Amino acid sequence: MGIFSVYIINKAGGLIYQYDHISQRPEAEKTFSYPLELVLKLVDDKIVVAFGERDGIKVGHTLLAVNGISLEGRYLQTDGQDAMEIIAAPENYPINLKFGRTRLTTNERIMLASMFHSLFAIGSQLSPEHHSSGIEVLETDGFKLQCYQTMTGIKFIVIADPKQTGVEVLLRKMYEVYSDFALKNPFYSLDMPIRCDLFDTNLQQVIETSERQGIGNV
Amino acid sequence: MTVYSLYVFDRTGTCLYYTEWNRKKHSDIARDEEFKLMYGMIYSIKSFVNRISPTDLKDGFLNFKTNRYKLNFYETASGMKFIMTTDLTVGNIRDVLHQIYSNIYLEYVVRNPLCELGQPISSELFHTKLDEYVRGLPIFPTRIS
Amino acid sequence: MGYNIGVRLIEDFLARSNVGRCNDFRETADVISKLGFKMYLGITPVVSNWSPAGDEFSLLIENNPLTDFVELPPGHSQLNFSNLLCGVIKGALEMIQMDVDVKFVQDILKGDNITEIRLKFLRRLEDAIPVGED
Repeated sequence: MGIFSVYIINKAGGLIYQYDHISQRPEAEKTFSYPLELVLKLVDDKIVVAFGERDGIKVGHTLLAVNGISLEGRYLQTDGQDAMEIIAAPENYPINLKFGRTRLTTNERIMLASMFHSLFAIGSQLSPEHHSSGIEVLETDGFKLQCYQTMTGIKFIVIADPKQTGVEVLLRKMYEVYSDFALKNPFYSLDMPIRCDLFDTNLQQVIETSERQGIGNV
Repeated sequence: MTVYSLYVFDRTGTCLYYTEWNRKKHSDIARDEEFKLMYGMIYSIKSFVNRISPTDLKDGFLNFKTNRYKLNFYETASGMKFIMTTDLTVGNIRDVLHQIYSNIYLEYVVRNPLCELGQPISSELFHTKLDEYVRGLPIFPTRIS
Repeated sequence: MGYNIGVRLIEDFLARSNVGRCNDFRETADVISKLGFKMYLGITPVVSNWSPAGDEFSLLIENNPLTDFVELPPGHSQLNFSNLLCGVIKGALEMIQMDVDVKFVQDILKGDNITEIRLKFLRRLEDAIPVGED
């Protein structure tokens, strides 16, 4: 429920701010005995489930931890062992594995932001009506994405629960916070990533307020 | 309420069928280029949505809105994509797109031995039936402006 | 001078005032004087002296708060003390894709009867217009 995350994109399509409000990414933990019923494969140096959905573990989920030790890509965070090798060896069983949806890296977020920037433009180009804006609301069965582009070309994006109301107001409020705490900060240079504590705290505040009000309306 | 256009793509990205009703603006590119752009956009949105989503999705992308139009998307398990652009007052029309698939496409294209699958649909019958169905919908305006 | 203030101030202005895009330069002039100046300086300059083509106008300021208790030092009698305002206007309009020329014509500080800022519309910055805004 509520607001999942927000993105701010500058007029060139570069990501200048990102914040995850609720990270309720599904996770599933299970102890396995040898042989492992799941089929795993390597995708972009991450271990991904390729076959064998069970107990909340879904195809497409990545391996997050082995015996409680978190993974960094395909390697253990503690000693850098390859998790694929650990899983392959029968003497390591029973083994406890934690799976979940892939967490986005900063690079992936930057890429997604510029991807949306282009989709926004194509959405406007393919319009069957004159003078159409780009994508303003995008709905899926799990979340909705709402985008507000200012007259100067900055895009504010909120990813929220499909039933969340008042996102429109939140976007305007975010614009105000941006102009108050990023632009009026003399150390902030335009179109660059926003790193400013005051901005962070104020943004969180407007998100929380809007979440409370939004859910009250449902 | 009004319906602008309908695109049907097969899973390889070939535009099987395109038709329009009250479309006001045509993009400045050639028709087949527009199909490619539309397919490319949908393909990218699907991948974008799957990656940015905080949760696991079942159907994935459903529709998007700009300040002027709404694009509704329906994909079958076999990868056929039905895209209908309408104005903003139109609600959820997944079932309409499903009807087009199950009652019209299936009936007059898949069960028609003369229609080769994976090729653009040239069947006159399909065209008439589709046109009839869409014009009969409550979301279709009775008076065409 | 003032350009960088304008570039940032416009966001503040748009975030708070909720005005839409202007249809013509006359509307822009009204928004600048009745909303912009009112919000940030508490004054409402008079818009006048339109050029016949409608691409040039003057903002007449009677009581400029920037020049309260100010006298130009001897030897600098030609100084445009409030030239900052020109930069702010230029910077702000440039961010909403309008290229304008802004200059002081008269200044009470210099002994004129009124303070006058002249704005001339040069062109729309077409390539900077964000997608879907036309």
